[in-house]
Amino acid sequence: MRALKERNEQAFGFLYDNYAGALYSIIKQIITDNSELASDVLQEVFINIWRKIETYDSTKGRLFTWMLNIARNASIDMLRSKSYQNSQKNQELPDNVYKGVANQTILQNVDNIGLKKVLEKLKPEHRVLVELAYFKGFTHEEIAEMLAIPLGTVKTRIRNALIQLREYLK
Amino acid sequence: MNVQEYIESGIIESYVMGLASEPERAEFERLCVLNPALLAARKKFEERLEGYASENAVIPPPEVKVKVLEAIGKPASRAETLSIPPKIVTMSNEKGTAGAPFTLRLIAAASIILFLATGFLYYQTKQENKDLVDTNDRLKTSLDTTKNVLDRIVKEQADVVSNPNVTVVNMVGTTVAPKSSANIYWDSASSNVYLVVKNMPKLANDKQYQLWALIDKEKVDLGVFDATDEKVILKMKNTKKAQAFAITIEKKGGSSSPTLDSLQSVGKTSQSQ
Repeated sequence: MRALKERNEQAFGFLYDNYAGALYSIIKQIITDNSELASDVLQEVFINIWRKIETYDSTKGRLFTWMLNIARNASIDMLRSKSYQNSQKNQELPDNVYKGVANQTILQNVDNIGLKKVLEKLKPEHRVLVELAYFKGFTHEEIAEMLAIPLGTVKTRIRNALIQLREYLK
Repeated sequence: MNVQEYIESGIIESYVMGLASEPERAEFERLCVLNPALLAARKKFEERLEGYASENAVIPPPEVKVKVLEAIGKPASRAETLSIPPKIVTMSNEKGTAGAPFTLRLIAAASIILFLATGFLYYQTKQENKDLVDTNDRLKTSLDTTKNVLDRIVKEQADVVSNPNVTVVNMVGTTVAPKSSANIYWDSASSNVYLVVKNMPKLANDKQYQLWALIDKEKVDLGVFDATDEKVILKMKNTKKAQAFAITIEKKGGSSSPTLDSLQSVGKTSQSQ
């Protein structure tokens, strides 16, 4: 860890070798339809890890947790970026964005990898919420609005879904 | 607050997976410091999540690592931006290779090998090309020569055939060789004698055909030829006079006098009367 904070390139190489696959997996679970953009994001994620390594605080979580969140956030940023939107052939009208995403979410469950495999085991109403919150990066408020469910219900269901998720991660 | 209830609320998962709100995060971090059981539960879930993610790893394209290592080897000019670095692959500099990990060195080594191989192939191809050009030149020279020869032959042939002074003597087969035939073109002005083989059987390697002129009962040698000289006009020895021409089979190189029992064909001239 100290070697990393001192920006030792060799230590960073080991870090890459150990975690690139796991992070690439989560990126691909978010950017499901474009491997090239997914690997661009992976590249960007590791460059950001390198540059921000001194901001990592081990009292707040494991290094992997920190990197996983960087990867997830970068993927969601990409998902929302203009360049990604432009690369999508079927652009929804603004009014239909939420519905479009919700439908897409359910349809995309067919060939899942990684965490999404675990999601399969959840009840559909829970699964959609985790999908939207975790893999699409919507806030609880946005999800409540798009699915017309009270905010409290959204929060409770997501919490419950995550608890179940933990049980499956064995 | 009941810690167990708090743990069971799903806050750990929510926090670790980045789904907790800012106030929730702040509270959770504060409580973690105060409560070892909560901290232990967090660490346990993190380990599980990491274990699961590692088991479900997807191998990324190898060039990503190269690009990352290349990017971090340079000063962070666009440090805090989230923009995607341009996809430019440049050869790594000395700084990059000195302490570079094995993969990068391997790639550098592969590049050098590729460069050398390309160089060798280039040299080889160039050499081959030069050889081909040389061969081509030789063939062209050879073709030109052949063409000149052929032109001369055609011209000569045309001259012989169209020359009004030339008499054609038709040589016909004897009883020994009924199918043997040849034509003699005899130029009475220049006394040149040409022979065109029409159909002469192939001979053993130690034998040749020999042309004779009958001049006042004398048999005069006009030269030897082969059956393989078919359809080509052959220049024989000159003669001013001849009542007839005859072809015999002789030993290779010809004889001083004809072996008459091997007489193949005979043709009389207008001088025979």
